[in-house]
Amino acid sequence: MTEQETDTPVIYTDQVVRRFGEGAALVTAVGGVSLTVESGEFAALVGPSGSGKSTLLNLIGGLDDPDEGHIALAGMNLTSMSSAEMSDFRRDHIGFIFQSYNLIPVLSAAENIEYIMLLQGLAARDRRKRVDEMLKMVGLDGLGHRRPAELSGGQQQRVAVARAMASSPDIILADEPTANLDSKTGVALLETMRELNENEGVTFLFSTHDQKIIERARRLVWLEDGMVTKDEAPERL
Amino acid sequence: MLILKLAFRNLLRNTRRTALTCLLLTSALVIMILMDGMMVGVSRLMVDSLTDTLEGEAQIYHQGFRERFDPSLYLDNTVPLREVLALDQDVRAFSERVMTPAMLASSYATQGVMIYGIDHEQEKAVSRIREAQVEGSPITKGSDLLLGDSLAEKLEVGLGDRIVLTTSSVEGNELVQRLFRVSGVLNFGPSELDDRLAFIDLEAAREMLMIGDGTHQFVIRFENRDRANEADLPLYDRVRNDQTAAEGWLKLQPSIGGMLEMTGFGRLILGLVLFLLAALGVVNSIFMSIYERLYEFAVTKAIGTRPWWIGRLIVLESLLMALASVAIGVLIAYFVGDYLEREGLGLGQMEVGGVVIPERIRPVMLINQFLEASWFLIGLTLLTALYPALYAAKITPAEAIKRSL
Repeated sequence: MTEQETDTPVIYTDQVVRRFGEGAALVTAVGGVSLTVESGEFAALVGPSGSGKSTLLNLIGGLDDPDEGHIALAGMNLTSMSSAEMSDFRRDHIGFIFQSYNLIPVLSAAENIEYIMLLQGLAARDRRKRVDEMLKMVGLDGLGHRRPAELSGGQQQRVAVARAMASSPDIILADEPTANLDSKTGVALLETMRELNENEGVTFLFSTHDQKIIERARRLVWLEDGMVTKDEAPERL
Repeated sequence: MLILKLAFRNLLRNTRRTALTCLLLTSALVIMILMDGMMVGVSRLMVDSLTDTLEGEAQIYHQGFRERFDPSLYLDNTVPLREVLALDQDVRAFSERVMTPAMLASSYATQGVMIYGIDHEQEKAVSRIREAQVEGSPITKGSDLLLGDSLAEKLEVGLGDRIVLTTSSVEGNELVQRLFRVSGVLNFGPSELDDRLAFIDLEAAREMLMIGDGTHQFVIRFENRDRANEADLPLYDRVRNDQTAAEGWLKLQPSIGGMLEMTGFGRLILGLVLFLLAALGVVNSIFMSIYERLYEFAVTKAIGTRPWWIGRLIVLESLLMALASVAIGVLIAYFVGDYLEREGLGLGQMEVGGVVIPERIRPVMLINQFLEASWFLIGLTLLTALYPALYAAKITPAEAIKRSL
């Protein structure tokens, strides 16, 4: 994990706007959001469907470009990066966990975790060592050889967490990570992520409307119609 | 190498689609190689038929003789030419001929013909007159005459029958007549030969035309046939002058050259059509595979995969399919080609440009056909994969994720 300077937030957005469509069909998905997330936070963007939380998460992760405003991650301005620079930045600084079909189905769990380190150019021995560590960390020791189809939904999401962690990112962005999991599995996955946050200091930002995440997040940023309506500080919890 | 592993496993995801795409590529390759073999076979057959039957691989003749076949245009200083031909190491054999238009009259009919005065022994090495003989014996005496079977039918003559040959002498332009006996009947195949040609002894022809030691044609066969069409062949340079022309078979029969050119063009067109059809199949297959993996590409891009890496993966998957198709296609083409080379392909007898194509055509399989078609297929598949690869590389993660969910 990259050391963050104490005065540099992991995420900084300034009046970010994202619109879709044209003319009468123009929709403002994110309408001028300013947000700061500090290192080590366990925060969630919360809101109903269509509130703009996934769009905002995509903008923060550099998966989409804002129409207006600025986004900085780990002190780097995302809006000025080229496509290749953006890919490298995501690889080295951001871990992603998506809702479903998160893994490359033709690679084993271990290979899925190794993949990102391969892109980083790590030596084979270092990769294998890190893969073993990550599998142990998410409780999948001994299941590295299995392909995603041979793992349960919860186990697949654990592999996704391990993959997100493997590159030692500054932040993990998780878009509805529990949406396709049953309640028990969802809770177990969240506990794993919270442990990583508490023990390893990994910053998590969720996009969710899942009550389980809302109950466990230490900061909740409420969105409605693309605007922040409430930002509940850690003290609330 | 993870990218190779990934590409290989991706191909095995939908084995039916991969197998069908490979089948398409394999079929195109096999058809291309075999068709090429067939065309080379037919081309060689045409050239063989042309050069072996009567024309030879090259000819030395009086300037202008071939335009009008005017008997007065004969080579009179033949001794030095014979010496040059006898000493030239490229020349395997040669034959002298005297030619004149004439009238053949039997007891029942008369026919205008082209008479060839030939030396039977020399002809054995340069033409197929001996092989074409279906009845009788070769020319051994001055009164022997060979003629085509359809000409014999028109004149209603058979072996041993008398026949009168009338022509005009070159010197003095006098009408000359001589009695011959039919010593043999020929069947070359092309009707223009069997209808119109008759052969007599070389010396008898010279006597009738009163041209002394003169000759209308030196017909040549080379040690290596390919040399015949070399414009700067030393033999040609030595014998060519204001009076004497020397040309290889391609110049002598430009229509065959045109047909060979057309055959080459046909091969190119056939290859392009076949491979374009295959290419369309490949593009379709790759795009189907990309659309199925849209979310996956989006995720891999999201986690930091560079666009060109995804493009490279698509190209590698296509390359693997092309390589597998080439391996299978080359094996199939080899065995089928080998079988056809032995057994031939029965298409019925045809006459193309005065050349008889026999009932069974045998392809000529060359290593180049396999190599060229394989490289062509691989190259075209890679080229075909570029556009889908570019498409996949340009996928915007956020959009692709939204579309896939």
